[in-house]
Amino acid sequence: MSRNTTTRRETDRTATDPPEESMNATTDQTHGETNSDGDHIQIDGLRKTFDDGAIVACDDVNIAIDEGEFVILVGPSGCGKTTTLRCIAGLEEPDQGQILVDGEDITGLKSKDRNLAFVFQSIALFPHMSVRKNIRFGLDMNTDLGSDEKNRRVEDVAETLGLAEMLDRKPSALSGGQQQRVSLGRAMVMEPKAFLLDEPFSALDANLRDEMRVEVKKIQRDLNTAMVFVTHDQEEAMTLGDKIVVMNDGHVQQIGTPYEIYNDPRNRFVADFIGSPSPNLLECTVERTEDGLAFVSAFCSIPATDEQVGHVEDRVGETVVYGIRPEYLDIVPDGGAFVADLDVVEPLGDRDAIHLSAGGTSLSAVAPQGEVARGTDRVRIDIQTEESWLFERDGTRLV
Amino acid sequence: MSLADYDAVGVTLKASTYGVVWFLVLLNLVPLLFILSVSFMPPTEFFGAPHIVPYEPTLEAWTSGFAELKDNLVNSFLIGTGTALLALAITIPGAYAFARKEFYGKKLGFYAIILAMMFPYILLVIPIMGLWNDLGLYNTIPGMILAYQVFVAPFAIWILRDFFETLPKDIEEAAQVYGCTQFSAFVRVILPLAAPGIVAVGFLAFLTGWNDFLFANLLTTGTGPVPAVPVLYGTIGGGSGERVYWGKLMAETLIIGTPPTVLYLVARNYLENAFTV
Repeated sequence: MSRNTTTRRETDRTATDPPEESMNATTDQTHGETNSDGDHIQIDGLRKTFDDGAIVACDDVNIAIDEGEFVILVGPSGCGKTTTLRCIAGLEEPDQGQILVDGEDITGLKSKDRNLAFVFQSIALFPHMSVRKNIRFGLDMNTDLGSDEKNRRVEDVAETLGLAEMLDRKPSALSGGQQQRVSLGRAMVMEPKAFLLDEPFSALDANLRDEMRVEVKKIQRDLNTAMVFVTHDQEEAMTLGDKIVVMNDGHVQQIGTPYEIYNDPRNRFVADFIGSPSPNLLECTVERTEDGLAFVSAFCSIPATDEQVGHVEDRVGETVVYGIRPEYLDIVPDGGAFVADLDVVEPLGDRDAIHLSAGGTSLSAVAPQGEVARGTDRVRIDIQTEESWLFERDGTRLV
Repeated sequence: MSLADYDAVGVTLKASTYGVVWFLVLLNLVPLLFILSVSFMPPTEFFGAPHIVPYEPTLEAWTSGFAELKDNLVNSFLIGTGTALLALAITIPGAYAFARKEFYGKKLGFYAIILAMMFPYILLVIPIMGLWNDLGLYNTIPGMILAYQVFVAPFAIWILRDFFETLPKDIEEAAQVYGCTQFSAFVRVILPLAAPGIVAVGFLAFLTGWNDFLFANLLTTGTGPVPAVPVLYGTIGGGSGERVYWGKLMAETLIIGTPPTVLYLVARNYLENAFTV
């Protein structure tokens, strides 16, 4: 088990990174330093269909995964994320495309010959075997290790996961969280090239889920093994991932760090899917006013920023989608861009989600706890226009 | 006491429930009691006035019955066991294929197998007798075992297919990820988990081979491996209307019924253990 805090380095940054970079540097990003000569796992042009091509589960999926990287596949149900993971594991045969691990094409190999460990959503322990046998199973089947070595690995893993006391019990005698730990243990003893996890915590209750998330992230950091984690929960994706792959309708929508995905979504789907409460997306007409270009909707007129002007100058009169996260709508005592009716205040802990409506459109904003007094029914809203996005009506990002 | 304190409906319901239960229990128990009692009676008693407790109990019916059945019980045991083992060997892979694999004609094939169960078996006697004669299987234990597959295989495939279908696919996939081929995953994970179903099917197959009369009577002759049940038929007089020695008949009935009962008790314990995995 290699602790490699010393080998970590800052994520490579490109010139196009958003200005929030300074925040980015405060999180612990791990990218294996050993990996300067290429990607650890590479997925090229993956396509998988079911029912003789009637259902396209995923198409043109290209993902590069570095050694020691924690990659999240996230998207709504049916978006192809699990199919992609199962193709990597060899549980599905892709129709097209290649999967390379350390440069070796493993596309046609059987699951057992891939040296990848899979953790199932349903946990899928062997109910007729003790915890010890469950964890040892892969070693017994797939390695020629001596009995001592196998036992040592099993004990080590059980120690790490807090299962040492339960090795001789049957899985049915364990709680859901413990069972999922055993399932992780079964993966860890193999010392695989990568872990593949398919919504491993969706069967657990909320508190346990948070606990297991932290644990998995810690284990992943300690082992410095690549991990591909599938979830439909965007919050889970944001908290866990080094790299997030957002999928929808079988296609990769965007790949990036959590901050890139959050701050700089490539299209309307990503903007809408990531973040809670969801961003405000307004259909606006581009109009020329005396102050320059503005985006005009039923209830307000938002001036375009200098950057936006360049992109919409020649599109006056057309409709675009103006996107802004709730946290960039400020509640102001006077002035502001428009006035909205306050529908509901939803306490989220340290902050409140404010659900508004203006001109028949629902909006949300976020304010510090208690800032909006109970009984308020109209508020003035100002927009931090620098933080806004513009999308075409078909969803592609304009600027 | 006023009528309101008295739950007339509830009491009637309970009384009638117990009434029905007791009626059913006695319906089974009384004949069994007579079988047991008659098996210990000398002929003078069971041809006399009916009574339950024998006046002069004797083991004569049991000893003569057992002596007559000894060899045939061995035949029955070989046939029953062989039928169960062959049925499992054929139907476990078959049922697994119907449960998990996709192949052309899967649905039709399954319906055809179920349809075979609806077929009146007696019609099969003629072709099977001819065929078995030609193949040298007539009047042999392997011939009997093979013939019983006609009865056993369809229901075995049906039960086992349903059983395999209920086993989660993920467990099989987990075995494959952690080092198994599809076949070794089947052997190491699916078979142990399907044990209750396999035991149940094995038991039913054994019972078919053990208890059947039709094929047992028609596919064997007095010189061959006659199972126990046709001997029992002989004790009744083979329908010839001669005097029936009821004592021996009852003793033989109990002797033939005992092994499956014991097997059931053993299997039942196993089933309970297997279900608590």
